[in-house]
Amino acid sequence: MKSLAQFIRGTVQRNWRRVLLGALSLVVFFGAWQTYSWYLNANDIGYKAYFPYPGEVAEAFLDSFVTPDFSGLLMTDHIMASLKRIFLGFTLAFAIALPAGLLIGSYLTAEAVGMPIVEIFRPIPPLAWIPIVLIVLGHLSGPVVIVFLGIFFPVLFNVILGVKRVDPLLLDAAKTLGAKRNHIFFKVILPFTTPYLMTGIKVGLGIGWMCIVAAEMVGQYGGGVGYYIWARTAESNYDYVFAGIAMIAILGILTTGVASQVERRLYRWMGMK
Amino acid sequence: MDGDEVNIQMEGLLKVFRKDDREIVALKDFNLQVDDGELVCLLGPSGCGKTTVLRIVAGLEPKSGGRVSVSGEEVSGAGPNRGVVFQEFALFPWRTVRKNIEFGLEVKGIPPCEKEAVSSRYIDLVNLEGFENVHPQQLSGGMKQRVGIARALANDPAVLLMDEPFGALDAQTRNLMQKELLRIWSATEKTILFVTHSVDEAVFLADRIVVMTARPGKVKEIIPIPIPRPRDRTSPEFISVRGEVLSVLETEFEKTMAQELSGD
Repeated sequence: MKSLAQFIRGTVQRNWRRVLLGALSLVVFFGAWQTYSWYLNANDIGYKAYFPYPGEVAEAFLDSFVTPDFSGLLMTDHIMASLKRIFLGFTLAFAIALPAGLLIGSYLTAEAVGMPIVEIFRPIPPLAWIPIVLIVLGHLSGPVVIVFLGIFFPVLFNVILGVKRVDPLLLDAAKTLGAKRNHIFFKVILPFTTPYLMTGIKVGLGIGWMCIVAAEMVGQYGGGVGYYIWARTAESNYDYVFAGIAMIAILGILTTGVASQVERRLYRWMGMK
Repeated sequence: MDGDEVNIQMEGLLKVFRKDDREIVALKDFNLQVDDGELVCLLGPSGCGKTTVLRIVAGLEPKSGGRVSVSGEEVSGAGPNRGVVFQEFALFPWRTVRKNIEFGLEVKGIPPCEKEAVSSRYIDLVNLEGFENVHPQQLSGGMKQRVGIARALANDPAVLLMDEPFGALDAQTRNLMQKELLRIWSATEKTILFVTHSVDEAVFLADRIVVMTARPGKVKEIIPIPIPRPRDRTSPEFISVRGEVLSVLETEFEKTMAQELSGD
């Protein structure tokens, strides 16, 4: 945590102009929002309730952490439910996409066998599977599978790309040093592919968050931030709806932030940055 | 080592590449013996197949015919008894200097303490003390190639195959590395097959220079270099040998030019 603080301080010192402009842009954004809500209220326009003040949203946001909603759940419960699904979907996608990508990238036979199936499933948006998957697999496993589908393909395709780009010179070097096939796989191809894998993971996590919200809205059971947003909309508590949307934004930023930190450390450890 | 035992033996070597239904004969009836502990330079115009010879000996390229053996063993596929040093270094960027050097030992399953002792010995040999834990990206070209040489030697190969190893370095570094190579060579007594297109480099390093013909590559002439080491590039002896080698090579350069102009 200390290094993170140092990192932030260092970034601010080096890029103060960017930081200043960024802060200014946020001030303008919230100011415009405040002004618009105020305009709606002052003129008593019918849909003002759909557009709460930033302050109301902040209040609802904090309140949702202390006051249980009608299903008896706090925001933390919803967050945990969503994170659990993301985590399970991610782990599953990672565990299958990494070896599958390494195989398809390395062996022409695996490519010939695997690619037709992959190409059939790739153009299907993960969201298209939601209704049937939820019916068949229920409300925990269902969204997990949707998240899995969202993360699987970016990871798979980036790993395949990475394997295909392995420097043939490094393979030659490894062979002349006595490396057998399994050494080449684990000591050359896998480390070479790691940066591509990390790109796949970051893209996949972004898609994963979109998938989880949609799946939880349709599922409507067992909590989750998507479920929360849907339920609060049904209650017409629009300030809480915005609070839920803000929560998704924060969680999305946090997960990709963690992935970036992991990536940075990994690259430093591997001497690639 | 007694110095007159044959280490690398090539007999009637043939290499044919296929390219768009056309057959290109890269090597034809190539014969060469390299003695134990000898430093032989393969010299020839670009595209004459000198790198192909080296890659066949390394086992990275299959031959189309003939025989190749190293230390009496028929070559089939790459193996750790032939260390290769590449022009583009070919270091593993995610491994530190020490870990790069230890790659071959790791693959062999050498226990950690012995592995470290061996890598330390070669780090000392190539003068890289203090850079053990640095990644290749942070090294200069000359230092990268020191790692490349140490990595190849750490496997204690029977021969060292060097493919224009100093071709990517600037002139000063190249001269320094040539001296370093001679020092390392005399310390390890390895047999070295060294590919280069630089006459100057070949005359400075070699016991014998093998001049190759333009495609198809054959041995045109084998020139022993009797100049005692350390050699002085500015000595009249050096300059006259250099002139001799150049004149042998020149006709081959002209043939290559003619081949290129005819679009072959």
